[in-house]
Amino acid sequence: MKELEKTQRLSIASVLVVLLVLISLLMYKRPKHVYNTNSKNTLEKVISDDYFIGLDQINNPDYILVDVRNQIEYNKGHLDHAINIYTPELLNKINSKLLKKNKKQNKTMLLYGNNPHETIAQFMLLYQIGYKNTKILTVENSYFENKLITKNSPIENATVDINAFIKESVKNSFKALKKTTKI
Amino acid sequence: MINRNLAKVLSFRYKILALVLVLLAAGLVLLPKYVKHEGISPKELLSNAISPERYISTDELAHKIIEQDPSFLLIDVRDEESFKKFSLPYAINIPLKKLLDEESVNYLDQDEYDIILYSNDHFYADQAWIICNRLAFKNHRVLEGGVNEWFATIINPEKPTENMPRLAFDLYSYRKAASMYFGVAYPEQARPAVSTTNKTKKRRVTVRKKKKMAAEGGC
Amino acid sequence: MGPLIPNGFIPDEWNNIIAIIIGLAFGYILEASGFSSSRKLAGVFYGYDFVVLKVFFTAAVIAVIGIFYLDYLGYLDFNQLYIHPTYLWGAIIGGIIMGVGFVTGGFCPGTSVCGAAIGKIDAMVFILGILIGVFVFSELYTLFEPIYDGYFLGNQTLMDSLGVSPYWFIFIFTIIALVAFFVVDQIRKKVKKVFY
Repeated sequence: MKELEKTQRLSIASVLVVLLVLISLLMYKRPKHVYNTNSKNTLEKVISDDYFIGLDQINNPDYILVDVRNQIEYNKGHLDHAINIYTPELLNKINSKLLKKNKKQNKTMLLYGNNPHETIAQFMLLYQIGYKNTKILTVENSYFENKLITKNSPIENATVDINAFIKESVKNSFKALKKTTKI
Repeated sequence: MINRNLAKVLSFRYKILALVLVLLAAGLVLLPKYVKHEGISPKELLSNAISPERYISTDELAHKIIEQDPSFLLIDVRDEESFKKFSLPYAINIPLKKLLDEESVNYLDQDEYDIILYSNDHFYADQAWIICNRLAFKNHRVLEGGVNEWFATIINPEKPTENMPRLAFDLYSYRKAASMYFGVAYPEQARPAVSTTNKTKKRRVTVRKKKKMAAEGGC
Repeated sequence: MGPLIPNGFIPDEWNNIIAIIIGLAFGYILEASGFSSSRKLAGVFYGYDFVVLKVFFTAAVIAVIGIFYLDYLGYLDFNQLYIHPTYLWGAIIGGIIMGVGFVTGGFCPGTSVCGAAIGKIDAMVFILGILIGVFVFSELYTLFEPIYDGYFLGNQTLMDSLGVSPYWFIFIFTIIALVAFFVVDQIRKKVKKVFY
């Protein structure tokens, strides 16, 4: 009899373990968004540079413009036919549905913000969770007399040769020095 | 009565437990499989990416370099050519396409130094930051505005006009002093022996491999 | 999420404290389920008591199923777990020595400490034997080193070396375990009862 008690304890323990597994299975919610590319592929995509679209190319029926700025700025002025997905709300339910719909219809989403910097995080995130139909519209938006001015914006070009500037400044100062010493 | 029923059930307990085990194991076989990818969850990545905390201003960086703060690594993610042409002092070159090479990861994935990424603008540096952030590398920051901003604020600061607040003048004199530290010479403050500061500074950094904690086993 | 300590959910400093707590629990359960009796332990070799085999087989099956469920559900990263390195011939020879010691002494290293704790003299002698063995091994280490360090196959699991899907492997493993329990029970019924 004593032995039976012991085995009962064992079976109770194992039933508890099984219950635990079942409960964790039932409680488990599959995350809505999971990565479907690894970091290496993402890096290759990022280097490839084929995800930039200029302002002159947007007249394509397959393109959907996505404004990543907040609602206030969107209401103040946005490009024609643009939809608004504010960055922090990118992964919420409504926007997820929207993203899925666009993916199904094979539309390409063009992200734009006040400048291209504002879109890079969204673009890379969307790319990594499987929305490969995303591109960046390289534009800069600014306001002039309450009207939205949109112009192309170059990505990452070196504007000045700093070493040359420093050398020049040193030369100039030498000249100045010579002048002062002459006088 | 209940006891008897219980005893009846319990007499089958081994069979029941065996059945449960088989079911659990079969469940593993039958569950739909999906490929798992590394990295923190996309939601976390998004909330990290929209926080402006990752940016460090050029003034802060200049301060750090002048103070010779040993706690950070400057990493240049542009290609070798532009790195050779001009780089910030003490920077290490890791072109974007080599970001995930083993050698680079040794620099990026460690917790001894803060990492400051920069490029011409902060576009490429941001891309590098996002990739590193997904892989949960710690203490990464991005130089806001990159080299262009560095030029506009530190190397060639704009002279404030008369009607600007005093703060602007203070900032200007600070930036001017900083630019002189980085080799720029001004005519009105010319000194004869100034030309030696313009060599590129290199710092040797030995990065210890982040130790992977592996549990030891035993019976 | 897991494993908890390498991922920083529990600070590294707690490592030893947790180890002590788990060790105490392990010892308590060993003793409570009668593993401090060398007759019970040796019974598996003579066919009158198969508790050892059942316990270890069940533990392995439960652990592997649990780990894979946790891995599947994303609570645990399977790739971060420690996998014991395989030194082929070292393991084989060590296993044989351990088995012989098990049959003759009636204890395995863990249970001998357990038995010594409740005052069994044979367990204490067994521990003494272990210590002598450790001493001899360390003295002759240079002699054994090629076997001890050689034939290294890396941190391999059975699934790696057999090249089968882990899920099917677990399923088959579970079936084998259950069949083993059944067969073992039949054997025990045939063998004359031993009272201890």
